[in-house]
Amino acid sequence: MLFSGLLASVEHGLNRVLRLDSTALPRLQHLNGKVIAVDCRSPSVQLFVIPGDEGLTLAAHWAADADCTLRAPASSLVRLALSQDKTSVLHSPEVELEGDSGVLLELAAILQDLELDWEYELSRWLGPVATQLFSGHLRSRARWYRQGFASLNQNLAEYLAEESRTLVGQREAEARFSELDRVKLDLERLEARFERLSRSLDPSDNA
Amino acid sequence: MTDQRKGSDAEPTTHFGFKNVPESQKAEKVAEVFHSVAAKYDLMNDVLSGGMHRLWKRFTIELSGVRPGNRVLDIAGGTGDLTRKFSHLVGPTGQVVLADINASMLKVGRDRLLDKGVAGNIEFVQADAEKLPFPDNHFDVVTIAFGLRNVTHKEDALRSMLRVLKPGGRLLVLEFSKPTNALMSKVYDAYSFAFMPLAGKLITNDSESYRYLAESIRMHPNQETLKSMMVEAGFDRVTYHNMTAGIVALHRGIKP
Repeated sequence: MLFSGLLASVEHGLNRVLRLDSTALPRLQHLNGKVIAVDCRSPSVQLFVIPGDEGLTLAAHWAADADCTLRAPASSLVRLALSQDKTSVLHSPEVELEGDSGVLLELAAILQDLELDWEYELSRWLGPVATQLFSGHLRSRARWYRQGFASLNQNLAEYLAEESRTLVGQREAEARFSELDRVKLDLERLEARFERLSRSLDPSDNA
Repeated sequence: MTDQRKGSDAEPTTHFGFKNVPESQKAEKVAEVFHSVAAKYDLMNDVLSGGMHRLWKRFTIELSGVRPGNRVLDIAGGTGDLTRKFSHLVGPTGQVVLADINASMLKVGRDRLLDKGVAGNIEFVQADAEKLPFPDNHFDVVTIAFGLRNVTHKEDALRSMLRVLKPGGRLLVLEFSKPTNALMSKVYDAYSFAFMPLAGKLITNDSESYRYLAESIRMHPNQETLKSMMVEAGFDRVTYHNMTAGIVALHRGIKP
């Protein structure tokens, strides 16, 4: 009952987030009635995900057969939930898929493509004017921090490479590497030439 | 704990809470109770169960195994909690019938579902669980949540549900039952007979209906008795799951 209560709360929160993307629910409707069993190996927990036009239903038990079963350790499932590239996590060796994997891949694609309209949700609570002011301020702060961080990064790299000479500069390193590549290729050519010459001088080969 | 039916000329009686009333009056009296509480039924459910009724219904849906295209009958569906979820699960190719003997409850349920935009695959039918007006072998799943204890002849209702189910179809009975723990039982008794009528008085200005609720729960068959009643009615593989220490039990039977 406790696990069911926990799942109900997670489901409620998850569906509110899904509603922030206007395309997510119509896309989930295509998967209506499909049952995905998630079998966590360590720790051993099983839950069922049933997509529908109202969002996702999470269940601790489901009497109908699952269309697709995903077996994976908890670490992979957390990675799957948080990762931007969900498809690559699904293809990792510790993840096992059984049944119609298309259902799971489609669900993963929907979750991956989520573009959440936080401003709309915020405007329901704060009103449009306050939301505009707040999000405008938040956006300018975010831009300032992004620019500040990029500038700091650039200055630090320049200081370390050009002024203090602690690190080798990128262009200098590239020039040195290309020089080394050239020497390596020259050596390989020389080695090949030596081999050809030695073969032509070998009497057993001429016979 | 079956209904009492006398063999003499006198009209048989049945229980209405702790009282005995003529069988012909029980449905009317139950209807009065639900007519009185219909408007605030959901609020009272949340207050009295602390929101637990949502988890009990959730478990019922999980064990129903409903799939797209299924036909589901929700008897005593009241305000349509189960119907709403079933409607999404069966999709446009399926059908859900919300049946209730009480017109007030059915109206509240229908209005509530329509207000939430749930429509298209739902039918609303005022029907008596003992004489279901549906063809034989018609439904994949039949549910009755917190309704069986109000039915006058439970055996007749179970047989009627068996008739309308397809072979292999499932009946799910969600109902108050007997707590499995002695301490819990004492706490639950105190809660039911002291707090429930008081909350009924404060919220719906009707303490009698909630006294009836507490009494009818005590008069309802316990887990094992209901299981044997389902077996006698003809259900196969009957199992039950106790929830919240047996305060509520979910019985499931399959039509052979």
